[in-house]
Amino acid sequence: MLKKKQIPEATIPTASQADLAFLLLLFFLVTTTIDIDTGLGLTLPEYIPEEEQIEVKIDPSRMAAVLVNENGDVLIDGNVIPVFQIKDMLKARIASKNDLPKNKKMIVSLKTDRKTVYHVYISALDQIKLAYFEVRDEYSNLKFGKKFADLDEEKKSIVKEVVPIIISLAEPESIKNS
Amino acid sequence: MNFKKKRANTKEEIPTTAMPDIVFMLLMFFMTVTTMRDIDVLVSFKLPEAKALEKIESKRLVSYIWVGKDKRMQINDSFVKMEEIEGIMYDKKQALPEIIVSLRSDQNVDMGFITDIQQALRKAYCLRINYSAMIKV
Repeated sequence: MLKKKQIPEATIPTASQADLAFLLLLFFLVTTTIDIDTGLGLTLPEYIPEEEQIEVKIDPSRMAAVLVNENGDVLIDGNVIPVFQIKDMLKARIASKNDLPKNKKMIVSLKTDRKTVYHVYISALDQIKLAYFEVRDEYSNLKFGKKFADLDEEKKSIVKEVVPIIISLAEPESIKNS
Repeated sequence: MNFKKKRANTKEEIPTTAMPDIVFMLLMFFMTVTTMRDIDVLVSFKLPEAKALEKIESKRLVSYIWVGKDKRMQINDSFVKMEEIEGIMYDKKQALPEIIVSLRSDQNVDMGFITDIQQALRKAYCLRINYSAMIKV
């Protein structure tokens, strides 16, 4: 008598597959570091040797000199103010230059002492950038009814044209030994 | 009296066959976003805080300089001296012209030191820099 032997059921148990996947998932969850680098961007001026430097006269009305000394005192155009007031001081002056042509825009020059502490410098730079950003926001609100960050690229470049960020780092004085 | 609870006659199971698929999808997401840290940071530092932060769009372009509390500097995997920065950064600039230098410096370093680094970067034509900072709340 030929009777085919009954084949036992041949399935791979998949009940634990989810558990395995969860284990792997946990591993990657734990090891993932989503660290987005944030910081204050700046473009340094090109290096020009001292003997080749030429002095360019700039109209003092488009220039704001921010000086930070070693104690963290800030001097803008002869007035001593606390660091957190830099923004308010500069905002009005930057905004007043919105309608002027490209070569008349505001330049903010930042100068520090060699003994100034880094975080004071960063907060001064931060204040200057905030001033520019707020002027940009106000302008784009006025013109397009949106914040600068929500504009599309084309409109962004228009606003950038009107409110360019020009921060100049003053040439360091020849190095003194401290 | 009949105490038997009334129940619906339908099946009461949650179908779990699709669960592995969903988990695998999550897994794929985390696998793709994971970047293993490739550099050991050897200096200790506390970043300064700021508000007007910008994100660096492309991580590929970033090159770090770490400055510790004790003013030791690290580039790549090793400590460097001030005189070496220009050469190292010049080579990096040649290899990657759009390089952005991220300065991860301790908040209590004096500016003279930072200025020296900046002068070296200017000589090496690495002009795009980024002062790494934490968000101020």
